[in-house]
Amino acid sequence: MRQKISTGRKPKFLQVRVSVPRRQMLISAIGVWVVFFGIWILATSLHWVNPLLVPAPGDVLGATVRLFANGFGSDVLISMMRVLVSFTLACLVAIPLGVAMGAFPAVDAILAPFVSAWRYLPAPSFIPILLMWFGTGEAPKLALLFLGVIFFLITLIADHTKEIRKELIETALTLGAGRWATVFGVMLPAVAPNILTAMRQMLAVVWTYLVIAEIVASTTGIGAMMMRARRFLHTDEILSGIIVIGVMGLIFDKVFAILHRRLFPYLQEVR
Amino acid sequence: MSQHLLQINNVSKTFALSKGRSLTAVDDVSFAVEKGSICVLLGPSGSGKSTILRMIAGLEAQSSGTIALKGAQIDGPARERGMVFQAYTSFDWMSVGKNVEFGMKINGVPAKERRERAAHFIGLVGLSKFIDTYPSQLSGGMRQRVAIARTLANAPEVLLMDEPFGALDAETRWQMQELMIEVAEASGTTMIIVTHDIEEAIFLADKIVFLSSHPGRIKEEIIPEFKPAKRIRNKEELLECPGYIDIERKIMRMMREEGQH
Repeated sequence: MRQKISTGRKPKFLQVRVSVPRRQMLISAIGVWVVFFGIWILATSLHWVNPLLVPAPGDVLGATVRLFANGFGSDVLISMMRVLVSFTLACLVAIPLGVAMGAFPAVDAILAPFVSAWRYLPAPSFIPILLMWFGTGEAPKLALLFLGVIFFLITLIADHTKEIRKELIETALTLGAGRWATVFGVMLPAVAPNILTAMRQMLAVVWTYLVIAEIVASTTGIGAMMMRARRFLHTDEILSGIIVIGVMGLIFDKVFAILHRRLFPYLQEVR
Repeated sequence: MSQHLLQINNVSKTFALSKGRSLTAVDDVSFAVEKGSICVLLGPSGSGKSTILRMIAGLEAQSSGTIALKGAQIDGPARERGMVFQAYTSFDWMSVGKNVEFGMKINGVPAKERRERAAHFIGLVGLSKFIDTYPSQLSGGMRQRVAIARTLANAPEVLLMDEPFGALDAETRWQMQELMIEVAEASGTTMIIVTHDIEEAIFLADKIVFLSSHPGRIKEEIIPEFKPAKRIRNKEELLECPGYIDIERKIMRMMREEGQH
């Protein structure tokens, strides 16, 4: 039912920065997926596409169930562990370094030229040498994921720390805070929400490198399963791999959102 | 020579600019501040009043001259010279109570005493109801009250304020100005306040140090002698004082002269 507005202005569909009613938002969100799946189902059932290359949504769902019944869960778990271990290590290194760079120009002067040079090297270019150094175990994969995000993470955290308003720091100083009380008592809590946001962004990048690592050099994990499936022309399994990665990404993102709300309640209660 | 709380002698500040040029922001400034008094630094923009305050705070080093608190040269920022800024400086991740306790905590005041002092000064600025509230839920004026309570609770020898009410609307400004008189009367705290608002300066000041611009120099020290010995607590009362208009006119004329340079 259309809402009755008596202003006499004819509402246009495209309005610059005019927010949309909830109802329209819901319809739009569902609509776009209905169209997506509609085209997919139509294309497969009317044989517009080769079913070997584009299986029907139902087949993909079936493949997903079959995969999990046959131990795909352990692949998912392995992939998840790789992401979590390497990302945790990256954060343990990046947070202290980034904050130190943002707080102490002397540290920044040493690390910034080094970090920004590494940042421009695509991490996958290290795969051959990582394989030579670490062999075929978990180490080269973890190293790739670590290298893929560490320099971006350091830079992001350093930049956020540098953006802390000068007045906050000077207030701490004129309250009698020394260097360490200023850094740990004011700068670290001030930048903490931004650190969590940076982590949320970079975790998505870790997933990207995970798939690369598992496709190139692994016999386990979601990416490896997808490469195996390719060999047997199991496109439905490849697509379920993609969907599983997407769902995992969504779950992790949601976890970060909840963490943000829990850790920083003061940011939620703004009028 | 009598012992002043704060003594500023022949202080200059020159900033280095690019291409070897330099800017003298403060030129040979000397004045003294008595214990328990309110000293206002007043002047047009470019008169170096904020720079002088920042040098007293120890956030900026003077190029020459001396600044001494109780006879001791100042060296960097310290608890004895607490500062309130124009921009909001509340620590958003702490409640109002914890904000006010912060300075005492880093200076090792025991928890019980900390809480009591915090509660006292939060009461003094009229925020007792909000002690457990996050600052982000407060209005601009209330946030400045938190900053003032936080600095006062830390027991500074002198409270430095850099255009503390500049971002507030007119009515809140008056309230805050009246609050500062109340605080000064209740706590006996020495204050140095930077402003470009003439009315604010006359209302708050026991002594006005008027600065001229480019470079910042002291033009005149003005004592608003028309004010009664006991400080005036509300602004309407100030307007009715005989002599108020004369001093306001005089300072306006000085401001205008500065503007013509």
